[in-house]
Amino acid sequence: MTATSLETEARSSGMRRFVRRVLFSEYLVLWLSVLYFLAVLPFVPQMASVEVLRNILSDMLPLLVVAIGQTFVLIVAGIDLSVTSIIAMASVVGASVMTGDGGYLAGSPLAVPAAMLAMVTVGLAIGAFNGFCITRLGMPPFIVTLTTMMFFSGAAIWFTTFHTTTSSIANLPHGFVVLGQGNIGGVPNSLWVVLAVGILAHIVLARTVLGRRLYACGQNRRAAAVSGVPVRKVIAAAFLISGACAAVASILYTGRLQTGTPILGQTILLDIIGAVVIGGTSLFGGKGKVVWTVFGVLFLVLIDTSLKMLGLSLFSVFAIKGAVILLAAVIDAVRTRFAARI
Amino acid sequence: MNTVRLRLALLRNAPVALFVVVLAVFGSLSDRFLDVQNFTNILIQASHIAILGIGMTFVLLTAGIDLSVGAVMYLSVALLGIYLADASPILAVPAMMAVGALFGLVNAFFVVRLRVAAFIVTLATLFIGRGLALWVTETRMVFYKDQILSLARAEFLGVPWAIWVFAIVFAVAWIVLNHTPFGRQVYAVGENPDAAAKAGINVPLVLTTVYAVSGACAGIAGFVSITQVGAAASSFAMEKEFAAVAASVLGGVSLFGGRGGVAGTVFGAVLIQTVQNGLVIVNADPYIYPLVTSSIIFVAVFVDSQRSRILERLGRRRIRIEERPV
Repeated sequence: MTATSLETEARSSGMRRFVRRVLFSEYLVLWLSVLYFLAVLPFVPQMASVEVLRNILSDMLPLLVVAIGQTFVLIVAGIDLSVTSIIAMASVVGASVMTGDGGYLAGSPLAVPAAMLAMVTVGLAIGAFNGFCITRLGMPPFIVTLTTMMFFSGAAIWFTTFHTTTSSIANLPHGFVVLGQGNIGGVPNSLWVVLAVGILAHIVLARTVLGRRLYACGQNRRAAAVSGVPVRKVIAAAFLISGACAAVASILYTGRLQTGTPILGQTILLDIIGAVVIGGTSLFGGKGKVVWTVFGVLFLVLIDTSLKMLGLSLFSVFAIKGAVILLAAVIDAVRTRFAARI
Repeated sequence: MNTVRLRLALLRNAPVALFVVVLAVFGSLSDRFLDVQNFTNILIQASHIAILGIGMTFVLLTAGIDLSVGAVMYLSVALLGIYLADASPILAVPAMMAVGALFGLVNAFFVVRLRVAAFIVTLATLFIGRGLALWVTETRMVFYKDQILSLARAEFLGVPWAIWVFAIVFAVAWIVLNHTPFGRQVYAVGENPDAAAKAGINVPLVLTTVYAVSGACAGIAGFVSITQVGAAASSFAMEKEFAAVAASVLGGVSLFGGRGGVAGTVFGAVLIQTVQNGLVIVNADPYIYPLVTSSIIFVAVFVDSQRSRILERLGRRRIRIEERPV
């Protein structure tokens, strides 16, 4: 063997190692985000301004909460299409409790906490219903959550007509609005909430028995059941968590818009699932992490913001978003096949 | 054992019973509902979802899913309105089918060659397809000429044109799935792709074909839909993919592949449309339409899942035979 061929071989194996390291990195999507950010910076220098960065962060927050809930469901190989309807339903129910225009508890000091409690209850109830149908009645998650999505999206609009003649319930109490826009120690309240949810979710997935069981159910349900995992309860828990997360996101969205509206979150369903999958969580279960979802959401919001700032037409925003989701999925597929070969 | 048989028979016929109940309820509430003219209307209104659902059935039978069909409908309709505005339907329909099939081949490339999950691929191409359509139309409303709009009222042998298209697509799909080798291969791949490959079936080819079929059906559905709507706004065919999946599942097609057929899908599409038509006729509050429709889909899926659970229990092999006390 000649020296040159050895050299090229060494170089190619070094190259391969590098490719492998990049592909298998946990932070692949984060690196892609940074790369993307640097790539668009020359075209839109405003991207690096504090204001825009703050906007990106605040756009991320509610989306991130729903996406974290969705991560739990995807880990057990389920899917939750009903999250957007939970956001809508929780928003109008919460608003109907606390609105100054004839809300159930208008003017009462308990109005704001009661409304928030009602919103979380809505999320938990719909999540519990999904979980019950899937685990006890043996129905496929896709269809169960598709029908709950159709039902509660319709129900949210119907519910609104009882409380107002317009399309949304406005005049929310000052206390609620302040809660959404205030800050503690210079950090916005919503960021605190999302941080708390994120850290809690990470601990549950990485450090608790429930977390282990969620992964086990997603990887191989039968094996999990044989090893004594209460499969039904674990899967139901994932849907409950998803419902609760969607309700928290609804509180954040409602606080930001200062109205309860049934069209809240109508268009973000595919963004949510897209973001989680871009992060690297598998649709077939057993694989997923909270940090991955954070990166996925960051990537998607970054692209959204930059495209808007570039002043691109609606068509390019749609098409580029689709291409990015596809690219992320292809990278993931390649990665999985590499992993299988080694 | 007999009670199990009875329960199975009941569950098997439950969707039909549901249909009869729907007919009876709306029939008693309004005498216009059970009119022949009204049934013709229902079939016409159901036709584009049924055609879309027939294409979707092929994909679902292989345990895939095609979320891009709504976008394909919009894209093919947009291309028709912009580039083939003067073409006759004889040319327009094949052209739209070709656009759809081409789009389906793109989906298939990612699903089959790169082995990306169908859900994600078609989710992405949904965005891309709608983006392309918005680009073609420059986000403006597209209007259509008389030779297309006149088809909405056109009849052949006394039967409206849309129903003919619907019937032809259904007949072709039914024959293909039930009486051709390709149809059997689709079921085999859906049942167990590895076993199908070992049996000598060209699995990639079968998978590629079903996505092309789904795209082509979406092209036809776009054409049928545009003759009725008359103009394509940027929200044209939005979320029709969910309606198509719902129709298939309502008709007993499994999302896990290998089970169901196009007859069920057509039944599902007609049932959904019957309910919506009935709600309009009895002057129901428009806000409860989605509530009723989704409840009916839910009940049908519930019944179907109970049936397959019983069947699964019956089919389970007893590996360990318990000793019974004498």
